[in-house]
Amino acid sequence: MDTMKQKISRSSNNLIVTYLSFGGIVILVMMIFGILMLLAQGGVLNLPPASFYQFLTIHGTGMIGASALAASSVMWYFLRKYVELSTKVFLWNLVLFTIGVLMVIIGVFSFEYASAWTFLYPLPALSGNAWGTTGALLYLFGMLILGIGFLLLFLDTGRAIIRKYGSLSKGLGWDVISGKKAEKDSPPSTVVASTMVTIVNVSALTAGAIVLIMNVINVINPAFTFDPLLAKNLTFAFGHIFANSIIYMGVIAVYEILSKYTNRPWKVNKPFLIAWTMSTVFTLVIYTHHMLMDTAMPKWMLIMGQVLSYANGLPVLVITAYGALMIVYKSGIKWDMGSGLIFLSMFGWVVGVVPAIVDATIVVNHVMHNTKWVPGHFHMYMGLGACAMIFGFMYYIAKEDSNITTTLIDKLAFIGYTAAIIGVSGSFLVSGALSTPRRWATHFPEWMAPANFGAAAGALAVFSLAVFILHFIRYIGKRNKTDNVYKGKKLA
Amino acid sequence: MVQTAAWVTSLFFMLIVTAVFAFVAMNSTEKKDYEPIKKKWYKARTFYGSALIIFFLIITIYTLRDLPYNQPAYGEGREPEIVDVEALQFGWNISETQFKTGEPIEFHVTSADVTHGFGIYDKNLNLIAQTQAMPEYTNKVYITFEQPGTYKILCMEYCGLAHHLMVMEIEVTD
Repeated sequence: MDTMKQKISRSSNNLIVTYLSFGGIVILVMMIFGILMLLAQGGVLNLPPASFYQFLTIHGTGMIGASALAASSVMWYFLRKYVELSTKVFLWNLVLFTIGVLMVIIGVFSFEYASAWTFLYPLPALSGNAWGTTGALLYLFGMLILGIGFLLLFLDTGRAIIRKYGSLSKGLGWDVISGKKAEKDSPPSTVVASTMVTIVNVSALTAGAIVLIMNVINVINPAFTFDPLLAKNLTFAFGHIFANSIIYMGVIAVYEILSKYTNRPWKVNKPFLIAWTMSTVFTLVIYTHHMLMDTAMPKWMLIMGQVLSYANGLPVLVITAYGALMIVYKSGIKWDMGSGLIFLSMFGWVVGVVPAIVDATIVVNHVMHNTKWVPGHFHMYMGLGACAMIFGFMYYIAKEDSNITTTLIDKLAFIGYTAAIIGVSGSFLVSGALSTPRRWATHFPEWMAPANFGAAAGALAVFSLAVFILHFIRYIGKRNKTDNVYKGKKLA
Repeated sequence: MVQTAAWVTSLFFMLIVTAVFAFVAMNSTEKKDYEPIKKKWYKARTFYGSALIIFFLIITIYTLRDLPYNQPAYGEGREPEIVDVEALQFGWNISETQFKTGEPIEFHVTSADVTHGFGIYDKNLNLIAQTQAMPEYTNKVYITFEQPGTYKILCMEYCGLAHHLMVMEIEVTD
């Protein structure tokens, strides 16, 4: 029986390692596309606009997809300690992801499809003769297949949580909030976070599937049209929620790893549960802050977009980040690459929330919407927040599962990565403050300098991430030789 | 200028966040019992959380007073000039491109094909107002130019391969 368990554990651990390797390598490649775009904007590289916008499309799609894939493995790794998850579904998600990614790559590079990852209706069908039906269909179906994989995965996590805890509301601890159950019987933080992610992502992926199918029909038969504002709502409901869920999956690593390193429990109490319920609701509804410049939208929805975006900052600022700071403060923690990146990720998340909240202010958005301020804040909390959670987890699992050690080069890469993402994000924010529009293949001379600075910082990020990935590949080599399985080694 | 205020505000709070994380990191390797730390900092959290909520409320009320969605109250006999704007791949059809300083203007913006963005840049290339140009919908920008000069209209929403070429000039004179 134990041997059977070990085999299952080994096969699912193999899958987790594959998810992480796949995610890490794709993120690295996408960084290179990002640098090429910045060099083109900086006037250093002569990139044809068609190539620039293809790079833009693949960069956005790839970054979100790969980060979501890797982050879902973080959630899966920890959630399976509490509920029984299906390894088959986990495998199917990877298979469908791979098929979807291949279709997207062929659509973009072989058929010159370049709608950006937002594929705003009716752009997939109306390209101004830049791409044809085949490219659009490959991309849209690729995204649909990829989305179905994730949908299956989150349906499975939902099924497993309901089976163990009775309902999703109990997974969020509503029975504890209402006083029916004692705080000590609260679900673990990992289950609470996973329930939130399950709820928001099933909603997001459903919205995404609807708008993708509508676009597919419109591409095949342009006589079939639908409301562009509805399409935009669905697109941003999907995109905003799905992209945000990456950090909420990644934060599970923060809860689990920091409490292990500090030997301090991350206590689930009522404020914690209320914060996660707030995050669930706000994440679902605040996508309208992407539409603050659509004055045709009902005004109350736009005002709510600002108000709830502010409110959405509260759970992280008051509960999660504060909890991370408390648990680390005078804990006697022994810093290593894993714990360092995880702590960095909380900094990245909080520091990135600041310009995000500023941009969600309607009067600010009026002159900063779709400037490079927007990638400025999301590169900060995705690059320094969500991705640092993933890379921290990669170092953690390597240490847990093998006897691999880190070197000075890893430490230098940590410093390099931190400086690089601050540099990239900072250059975007400066560009945004200078009113530089985002998604422009070329820039006026006044706007070029920050782009070139960002490209240089991006190169440092590539080198640093390459070190992280090489460490992980070295770990895979050692792991395969030593036949280690998860042993729950003592880290601190 | 709003952009400068946004940048300075962001930088200020980002530096505070950095200082807090650096302080905790520097005080992390010393080991102390967790219970007193929890007790002290849970108390502090109540104050910090309340202060943050009050701060957000004040900022919300302050920033929602005057929204760009609201049509200005025009004085007697001071009707705005309505300017129809139609975006299309890859250019602008604008019914009027010559304006006077102090003259209230309403840009009624739509699109003939895909979604575009209608951004007005001043002569120093600062974005001063924008809205989305949507097919089947009309979005409005209310503006009164204070300074004469050549202003630029730039596309602010990715719309295809010549997105960055959707630039047009308008003239404002005294």
